[in-house]
Amino acid sequence: MRAVLKNGIAVFHPQGFLDGNSAETMLSIEDIKATEKLETDLVLVSLKKVIFFNKNGLETFVRMLTKVRKSTQARIGFCDYDTKKFNSIINFFKDDLSFSLFNTIDTASLFASNFKNQKKNALVYSENKSQRSVMAIELHNYGHNPIIAQSKEEFEEKKKNAKTYDVIIENSYMGCMENGNIVAKVSSNAIIYNISSFLDASISNNFNIYYHNNSLKAGFRLFIFEAYQVINMNVHAMNFFSKLASAAAEYNATICFVGLSKDKITQKFYETLEDSGIMFFEQLDTILDDKKLLAELGASTATNTKDKRSLNKAMITQLPSFIEATVDTIKMMTNAEAKKESASIYTIKIQEVEDKIASSIGFYGDIDGMVILVFPNNIAKKACELLIGEETDDKELIMDALGEFVNIIGGKIKSLLADNDIRVKITLPRTYNEVSELLTVADNRKGVQVDLTFDGDKFSFFLTR
Amino acid sequence: MITKDKIDTYIEKIPPAPKVLKETLSLLNDGELIKASKVAESDLALKSYLKHIVNKPIYGFKNEVTDISQIFTILGVARSQQTVYNYMLSLLSPKEWTIFNLTEQNFHELQARLSANYNKILKHLNIIDKDIQSCISLLPASIIIVEALFKEQKENIELIKSTKSIDYNTILKRLTGMDLFDICEEIAKKWEMSDKISQIIQTSSGIKPSEDKDINHIAKWIHLLLFYELSQPIFIEANLNDFLEFQVEFVEDIYEEFLQVIKVQDK
Repeated sequence: MRAVLKNGIAVFHPQGFLDGNSAETMLSIEDIKATEKLETDLVLVSLKKVIFFNKNGLETFVRMLTKVRKSTQARIGFCDYDTKKFNSIINFFKDDLSFSLFNTIDTASLFASNFKNQKKNALVYSENKSQRSVMAIELHNYGHNPIIAQSKEEFEEKKKNAKTYDVIIENSYMGCMENGNIVAKVSSNAIIYNISSFLDASISNNFNIYYHNNSLKAGFRLFIFEAYQVINMNVHAMNFFSKLASAAAEYNATICFVGLSKDKITQKFYETLEDSGIMFFEQLDTILDDKKLLAELGASTATNTKDKRSLNKAMITQLPSFIEATVDTIKMMTNAEAKKESASIYTIKIQEVEDKIASSIGFYGDIDGMVILVFPNNIAKKACELLIGEETDDKELIMDALGEFVNIIGGKIKSLLADNDIRVKITLPRTYNEVSELLTVADNRKGVQVDLTFDGDKFSFFLTR
Repeated sequence: MITKDKIDTYIEKIPPAPKVLKETLSLLNDGELIKASKVAESDLALKSYLKHIVNKPIYGFKNEVTDISQIFTILGVARSQQTVYNYMLSLLSPKEWTIFNLTEQNFHELQARLSANYNKILKHLNIIDKDIQSCISLLPASIIIVEALFKEQKENIELIKSTKSIDYNTILKRLTGMDLFDICEEIAKKWEMSDKISQIIQTSSGIKPSEDKDINHIAKWIHLLLFYELSQPIFIEANLNDFLEFQVEFVEDIYEEFLQVIKVQDK
């Protein structure tokens, strides 16, 4: 069974009956290895569709997930259960809980990097006093507002005004945490990395520079390091960030630190980092909540002055695979044919930018580049119908599904290229509410533009480096 | 990926029930066990299937049973009918499985386990009804349908499933407006099975409750039994655990009783 990765949280969804034998069959070594590659900081097993479990079943899952935690430092645990199931788990493991328990996936998301600093109001209750404190501290650390009920009576009373809270946390438990790696998430089209503790030369090992460089190529222009939990850094870490900032400058990209107060590092280091172009902010929200500032920093209006590389022979040879992946995915998800209309090697040219949305995904490895798709709004909606499952005009939902859709295309590209012995990895997809945003990233880039039609409506595919 | 036309073609290609089977079922329906066994003897594949399936450990016979008339006599009218329907369904199963990691042998194992445990349930519920008894045979048709319709889409399905937790039934419904249980119903019609069997199978999807209280009740047991079996290691390995969405709320009120009937170990 493979975990489903959504918003940076990897979740396994077993169904039915979970005992030692079935759990062992559900998670193979290959499944664990695949999970380790997902670069997530939260790996959970949803018990929503599990009607029966016993201790052996849960222990088997915990044993396998612990392997993921050891190699990725991700938080592991179970989610989506009722009070009866929670009590059973507590009873099974008593004081030996080495994993976390979240009553719902919404509760779990508060402890995931992707949902940091969203200032969610969370009503919290646990019979265990130390757990109440641990949850309060963690929620604060993750940028939320915990409201702690000190007694069951107080909790029940407060729960009557459920609408006051974004999330109600009960029957939950924070297991031991071994966070240390650097996980990327996307918010407001900014890539956000989380760093903590003492930063030294090991930062260059923990930071995935290939991923970062390809995010630059995929059009991301704002990179934020969340450094609330950083204690200090040495000269090696400072040099690493300086170099990163210099490289980013070539793309007109910005690197920011949030939560790294001046008293945490020396004045000299601070000035060196500032001189290399790094900007400092107290809070992440200062950036994310301010659309104007976001735009100034590059999250939506970046220009692309560097790396206008031409397509090379290797890319052109593989062009049919890229087109096939796109056309096949559209056909697969909609049952409608996507047809190739015209192809030209030129700079990206989008006629009539109104009412269109776009998404891009980068790839890197044996070959590197970026695929851009530009859809009319109604076509994007149609293409995502299978993923959404209902008719909607909710732009956020459509953009979210479009990201998933392009991710599937990315996966298909990866697999088609692998058939030709070309190994690539894909970046997170980036979505653009307006085509104008895309053009600031991709304008004047040379590549292959293929105009396609889907049910008679035109959309554009663009492959560039 | 999957179109309504493809489904129609699939249904079109399902052969009608062979003459021997129709005659066997008709005689069983009239309670003519000996006559039915004589007709069944003439179909060597049916004969071999019956011998193979009833001698599985889950049927619990101490000695090997080889004679068809003996098999029908031991099983009785309703269970004999159920077993013949199991055979009919196995005729639809593919020689090689692509989506699911199944073999002919473990598909038969699934049929045998479903039938044996279903009979325990019917005994517990004190239900004696040939149609209700037979409907369990149609349930694995949903697995055969997924295999037939999605076999060329294995990689694509894996890609979608890595992005979203979504089952085959939902994909099929969203793409074509028809779900697995609608197709099961079409098979039932083609094989001239009773309307009641179709209704029970539709309701056992857990998403289409029936207005008939009795049908609703037995459908809950079938739904839970299916997921009990799909949680067995042999069927998890076959990738069957999440081919359909388990509707926990649908079966919650019979769950404790189910554990007692099937004797699920809480350790």
